[in-house]
Amino acid sequence: MKKPKAMILRGTATNCDIETFNSFKYVGAAPELVHINQLLAGERRVLDYDIMAFPGGFSYGDDISAGKIYAVKMRALAADFEAFVRDKRPVIGICNGFQILVKTGLLPENKANAQVSTLYTNDCGHFLAKWVKVKINKKSPCIFTKGLPDEIDLPIAHGEGKFIVEDAKVMRSLIKRDLHAMTYSDNPNGSMLDIAGITNPAGTCFGLMPHPERNFFAWQNPDRPAAAREALAAGCQFFRNAVEYAV
Amino acid sequence: MSPTLLNFTGLGEKELAELDAACGWSLNIPELKEVQRYFKKAGRQPARGELETIAQTWSEHCKHKTFSGPVSFLNGKKTRKYRNLFKETIVKATRTLNKKWCLSVFTDNAGIVEFGSGGKWGLAFKAETHNHPCAVEPYGGAETGVGGVIRDILGVGLGAKPVLNTDNFCFGRLDDKRELPRNSHPPERIMRGVVEGVRDYGNRIGIPTASGGIYFDDGYLLNPLVYVGCAGLIPTDKIEKKVHPGDRIVSIGGRTGRDGIHGATFSSANIDEETSASAVQIGHAVNEKKALDALMRARDQGLYNAVTDCGAGGFSSAIGELGSKTGARVRLERALLKDTRIEPWEIWVSESQERMILSVPKAKLKRLEAVLKSESCEYCVLGEFPGDGRLVVTHGKEKVVDLPMSFLHGGVPNFEKPAVRRKVRISSGPPAAHAGYGLILKELLAHPNVCSRHSVITQYDHEVQGGTAIKPLQGRYGDGPGDATVICPRAATLDQDDYAGFAVTHGFGPGVGKIDPYQMALHSVDEAVRNLLCVGAEVSRTAILDNFCAASPRDPEVMGDLVLAAEGCHDAAMAYGAPFISGKDSFYNQAKDADGREYPIPISLLISATAPVPDVRKALTMNFKEPGNALYLAGLSRRGMGGSVYNDMSFSGNNLVSPLDMKAAVKLYAALLKAMRAGCVAAAHDVSQGGLGVTLAEMAFAGGFGARLDLAGAAAEKGLTRLELLFGESPARLVLEVIKEKETEFLRLVKGLPVTEIGYVSEDPVLDAAFGPERLFCEDINALKDRWKRELL
Amino acid sequence: MIIEIWTKKKYSANEETAFLGRLGRAGLKAGAARLSRLYRVDSALGRAEVEKLASGLLADPITENYSLVPGKTGFGGGWRVEVWLKDSVTDVVGESVKEAITGVLGKDPGAVRFGHAYYVACDSAVKLKHAVSKTLVNEIVNKFGIEKI
Repeated sequence: MKKPKAMILRGTATNCDIETFNSFKYVGAAPELVHINQLLAGERRVLDYDIMAFPGGFSYGDDISAGKIYAVKMRALAADFEAFVRDKRPVIGICNGFQILVKTGLLPENKANAQVSTLYTNDCGHFLAKWVKVKINKKSPCIFTKGLPDEIDLPIAHGEGKFIVEDAKVMRSLIKRDLHAMTYSDNPNGSMLDIAGITNPAGTCFGLMPHPERNFFAWQNPDRPAAAREALAAGCQFFRNAVEYAV
Repeated sequence: MSPTLLNFTGLGEKELAELDAACGWSLNIPELKEVQRYFKKAGRQPARGELETIAQTWSEHCKHKTFSGPVSFLNGKKTRKYRNLFKETIVKATRTLNKKWCLSVFTDNAGIVEFGSGGKWGLAFKAETHNHPCAVEPYGGAETGVGGVIRDILGVGLGAKPVLNTDNFCFGRLDDKRELPRNSHPPERIMRGVVEGVRDYGNRIGIPTASGGIYFDDGYLLNPLVYVGCAGLIPTDKIEKKVHPGDRIVSIGGRTGRDGIHGATFSSANIDEETSASAVQIGHAVNEKKALDALMRARDQGLYNAVTDCGAGGFSSAIGELGSKTGARVRLERALLKDTRIEPWEIWVSESQERMILSVPKAKLKRLEAVLKSESCEYCVLGEFPGDGRLVVTHGKEKVVDLPMSFLHGGVPNFEKPAVRRKVRISSGPPAAHAGYGLILKELLAHPNVCSRHSVITQYDHEVQGGTAIKPLQGRYGDGPGDATVICPRAATLDQDDYAGFAVTHGFGPGVGKIDPYQMALHSVDEAVRNLLCVGAEVSRTAILDNFCAASPRDPEVMGDLVLAAEGCHDAAMAYGAPFISGKDSFYNQAKDADGREYPIPISLLISATAPVPDVRKALTMNFKEPGNALYLAGLSRRGMGGSVYNDMSFSGNNLVSPLDMKAAVKLYAALLKAMRAGCVAAAHDVSQGGLGVTLAEMAFAGGFGARLDLAGAAAEKGLTRLELLFGESPARLVLEVIKEKETEFLRLVKGLPVTEIGYVSEDPVLDAAFGPERLFCEDINALKDRWKRELL
Repeated sequence: MIIEIWTKKKYSANEETAFLGRLGRAGLKAGAARLSRLYRVDSALGRAEVEKLASGLLADPITENYSLVPGKTGFGGGWRVEVWLKDSVTDVVGESVKEAITGVLGKDPGAVRFGHAYYVACDSAVKLKHAVSKTLVNEIVNKFGIEKI
């Protein structure tokens, strides 16, 4: 079987690119680290890949606001990104990647340059790194969360993770279509309706604040019952689902 | 040029001192006279840039004149002479131990030890201090401190990839209400700024900040200490670096500006009100990340022959160091500048952050430039390393420096410093408890040096790179205080079949140091080794770093503290078989208080330690795991409350420091590690600040289980009081939870050692402790946790 | 030209409470507050260009408002504190924003500096100044001004 080509899209201070690369590699993808400069220069093309991942990090220092400068840089390639999503090829944005997808407008409605939601400063006012429990919305069309249990452990690590939709109508429409694929059991940042992750209506483009690549193996969990240390953990499933969908 | 410089060689002592003060060089008279002598012989007057270069190169910060200099130590009636204190203590231990897994020690920007099996990787480790900048501008000082130590790791060998940051802070007590001198910040503000600086820099650059500590003491009120460390992975075939004559000098990363003029000399002098704005900077993590990413790619493609970081002294130090054999030809007009209003000599010594210097073969320059451009990393080609051994720096037609490297690096005169043992009165009578044991335990848990650090730790991204196997916060609720951090650096090795990792931790005990600096060093090394043992690391392969901070070395008692602590370092390294691989020192950590009195810090020695963890999946955490499992106290509990948190809270009348029996400790730890490897141990936690009571409480509430305890069986020195057993801090002890089915095997492995059963883990959430028929305390673990889990920020 | 950006009223309660707490710890009891970010662009950009920067780059379209004239946040009855890094201190956020602006406009906007404005309702400018220097600014690296509004 041919391995799906996964583009791990990076830029300056995209810090979680290597572990995202490792995660895709582990579940059988052929990942490649691609710098946005390479896309802008035409050295690589978005539509040559089967999967696209926006890793976590602090792209361009998160100056102005998280993911903003990166999202603005992507405008020149908006048509390619939209086509990729329209084509229902899997896209995942983790943490800073989620912020980028939201700030371009690719999430939730695949309209680059039309932002309808945002991820704003946590209620506590600063960066927060801790493990949380998240609930999986089983009715969501999201392909990344298929087969996961009702509730899983994942770590968060962000300063701007408060999901906000200003227009109540837009929010109702998101909920009605179960685009909120994942919610916090104990809201750590003040997100509206405890939302931790959002998908597009097709279920193929997905952004989440928690880090599945950091609970990929059981040894990454802070609570280490001796028996479970060998196993793969919940986070692995997100990547496996993407690869299975892509082949 | 100023008229004084035109007549430099003719100046008298008084004029020299005035000139030095005006220029901010921090050179002393014999040093200035040595410079005069050189230029007299050369038959000319110096250029400003030359004097600046000499001041930088000869500064305490760069040359470590105190620690590497001669000392005469008066200990009671005996005098001992050292020609080079550092070499005759710390370096000597490393040389004698001569471990083959030490790949590079004391020569480069960081020490390097073998990592994993197969000989493919080395682990570089380094810790630094950034105390003076943090006192003046806590946020910027902490940021640039973190950035600086990361560059040490980037600049070791041909560059290591950073995989862990460490941070240890000392602040004044937050509740201190004393009036502060003008320009001093209260401890709360310093802590906030420092934590935010470490957070913003470490998080932005994508390196987990996952190991460290915070220590509060009066002595740090005016001089906070900020230790920052970094560990990185380097391929073993990239450790050698050598500048080849003809190589180009390339600066990458940040631009050069007027900021940070005189950082090296600043950090060697006492803080005063004249501290200028140019000495402090704000960090630019994103620029450093660009340099990091570009450097790693260029390293793997073999595009340069040598690299080093621009730290104190800027270009002058970095290029001077790389070109110390070959000489260097530098054309400053080629430097990329932030600001055009800058003198040539200022470009040369500016300490603008986020810059690295590469030595690049001419044939590879084009390829290197392509890599740098693809990562949006700025660079400039400053000149070349000619091979004639001269340092020639120009700016257009202006000659800024023309000196032989031999004078710069060999010319600094050094003088013997007097040292004397400090007199401390020891009271060794039985200590007295001020309240019931349960109440004391609760007070200790809430003590600033014991209570939870979660409000700081959770602001750091301690899991970026995905390799933090044992986290600073752990257990059932993810909030128990871990002993050591374990990293599985797959973000550097990319090998997902390899479970090899390394543990990092620290030992620190200025409380003991105020009474006995020699024992402080032993205790600190022991604490670090024991912490490594608690996670199941291979302690026979421990490598350590020393970071000394002290007050003015002009005070013979401060020098006496230093000598004793350095001797302790030597003896501990020998006993534990744990070589020092790198170290740093920072002096003049004293300032004038509001009344104009000198306010020195206590002698402060941070021991950072690392050891391999062959399989991170088997690493241990500290929380209770299962009701019914037996609890064992390992190690002999000894008399003495000296340096304890209890004494800080309420003096017990006893300030005896328990001496450490290192031979016994080494034997004990080897047996315990065997038991851990055999799968007998479910949890381990060291007995340190707050004593045994605190250790047990932390294990209990981190696991959500209680314990029934009878401490009568604990191995104890004769005459040990209950207070000393519960809250004394005698070293070399830890508590183990032993898996029920494995207890027989465990007992066989620890036979003949001071390891005794003290109780078992219980389902009900109560810590219930007795001593034979006497009930010591019985406390609800959630109530204990509430006292402990304070918000420091 | 200075672009001022602040959080819309319905999302700003947390930052204002935290800020008032900070002033409180520095000994100032203030009734209300508002916080904003300032970007000073030193070149003569056209109004349309600045508008484009403010709406398309610098302000979050969901949660933030902006103004091209400073002090138009609608906060009445109090003081406005403006804080900048001294010119001699490298402004790393400013540098980063300058790069982003260059990307958006396709031309170098000249120097960009990043600052903050704080609006505070309290009775005493002297006490405010004291609290500001104790908690918001470090006079070694910052410069600041207080004006009545």
